[in-house]
Amino acid sequence: MTQALQHLLNTLVLGGTYALLGIGLTLIFGIMNVVNFTHGALYTFGAYAAYLACAALGLDFFLALPVAILAGLALGALIELVLLRPLRGSDMDTTMLVMIGAGIILQSGTLWIFGGVAKAIPTPFPDAPLQIGPVSLSWLRVFVFAAALALIAVTYGLINGTRLGRAMRASFQDADTAALMGVNVGFIYTATFAIGSALAAAAGALLGPVYVVFPQMGDLAAVKAFAIVILGGLGSISGATIGGFILALAEEFGAGYVSSGYRDAMGFLIIIAVLLVKPTGLFARAERIG
Amino acid sequence: MLEIRDLVCAYGQVAALKGISLQVGAGQLVALVGANGAGKSTTLRAISGLVKPRSGSILFEGRDVTGADPRRMLGLGIAHCPEGRRVFPHMSVAENLAMGAYLRHDAAGVRQDYARVYADFPRLAERRAQAAGTLSGGEQQMLAIGRALMSRPKLVLFDEPSLGLAPNIVEQVLSIIRAIRDGGATVLLVEQNAYAALELCDHAYLLEAGRIVMSGPGAELIADPHVRAAYLGGEVETAHRIRA
Repeated sequence: MTQALQHLLNTLVLGGTYALLGIGLTLIFGIMNVVNFTHGALYTFGAYAAYLACAALGLDFFLALPVAILAGLALGALIELVLLRPLRGSDMDTTMLVMIGAGIILQSGTLWIFGGVAKAIPTPFPDAPLQIGPVSLSWLRVFVFAAALALIAVTYGLINGTRLGRAMRASFQDADTAALMGVNVGFIYTATFAIGSALAAAAGALLGPVYVVFPQMGDLAAVKAFAIVILGGLGSISGATIGGFILALAEEFGAGYVSSGYRDAMGFLIIIAVLLVKPTGLFARAERIG
Repeated sequence: MLEIRDLVCAYGQVAALKGISLQVGAGQLVALVGANGAGKSTTLRAISGLVKPRSGSILFEGRDVTGADPRRMLGLGIAHCPEGRRVFPHMSVAENLAMGAYLRHDAAGVRQDYARVYADFPRLAERRAQAAGTLSGGEQQMLAIGRALMSRPKLVLFDEPSLGLAPNIVEQVLSIIRAIRDGGATVLLVEQNAYAALELCDHAYLLEAGRIVMSGPGAELIADPHVRAAYLGGEVETAHRIRA
């Protein structure tokens, strides 16, 4: 029982960051119809940005996090303006290839600049974990969970409660008609890609200190982000949120009760099962609106 | 108010408009009729900036606005109510109306216009929190019209507003369009339902295969033997019979 509770607690922590990753990817796919193969690289980028902010600028972790998020926002906007904007209207395969190339450049660039040795991000949290009855949780993980939830809430608020969010949803549902309403759809695409990238960078900066920071850390993260998006239904933000927690649940309990070696396999088992049973994803809307 | 000169538009190699010229005077209701694929929708899409013309010019209130984007056209006062209604299906009625006022920053005026649209379309007021995709076809058309009016346009482009609607709803939609003209706005109406459009309009243009082949007051076109044979069919006789 205690063990199950502990797994449940870990699920919440992991699920929060998975949800961030998934929301970023699903936003970009849903609104822009771009399969973003740089998502893993942006996750890595966020972790390195946080590392640099701590190591080079001497900032503490609480300041390094917003720095990493802003850096992700800026890099995302740059990628959209330089690589995706000229390709507007070309088919999905072309943008997919370009994104794969950009991902390779980002990853190799990181390896080139920082080398392959893993880095650690220092955090100011006490070593003694938070003890809740029989289960315990490090303060760092408590913070990661709270920060992820806050970012998810901010994203929800942005999408559902602001003029920009309304224009994003309108462009998502019908780009031509959104343009007729006066929406600058080109700007919406840049904003969407930047926001999705910032969320990936945030996930990297949050999980960086939990694990370690190395150039290939984004590979598995990207695969998991795709798993979450497939699970939740392409283009669905609430689906991505729930999908993130389901994947975390499967991983935690799979690792705990089956074998820890199969932790990363659980996600794929779920994807296969979902694709067999409900290929549109568990929470997909009735019709494709992307 | 609106003047189009020798407008040519093409999709790839296929010319949709082969040099059309037309004029819409302020306060007029002008109809553009013709068969499917004649280029009616393309004309409207070129005016609102969704399609870039190959050549020719579009003048609005004396200004050359050829090739301007939809945002600029809307800012100048041209609203386009697109074919097939195109409401945002997963947004509420209120949010759809808010999208219509997207470029406006006078909150008080926008609130006034919400009230006016809800007063004109009580069904929309009842359903303001409902997703637009769950409305009936007629209600969606009312919403699309209301949304277009939320920008306080000087000129409204209507593309096939009666398409796919039940006959009694068609009547209602057409009388709303007339009321919009009577309220002081200018209307350019594209309709496949040629008889209704010709009866309603002040002036009409007949478009065939990307060219304007005839223009004049609606009654004149209704009386024309070519128009009767090609576009009105038995409709005139039917309409007279119903009236008699």
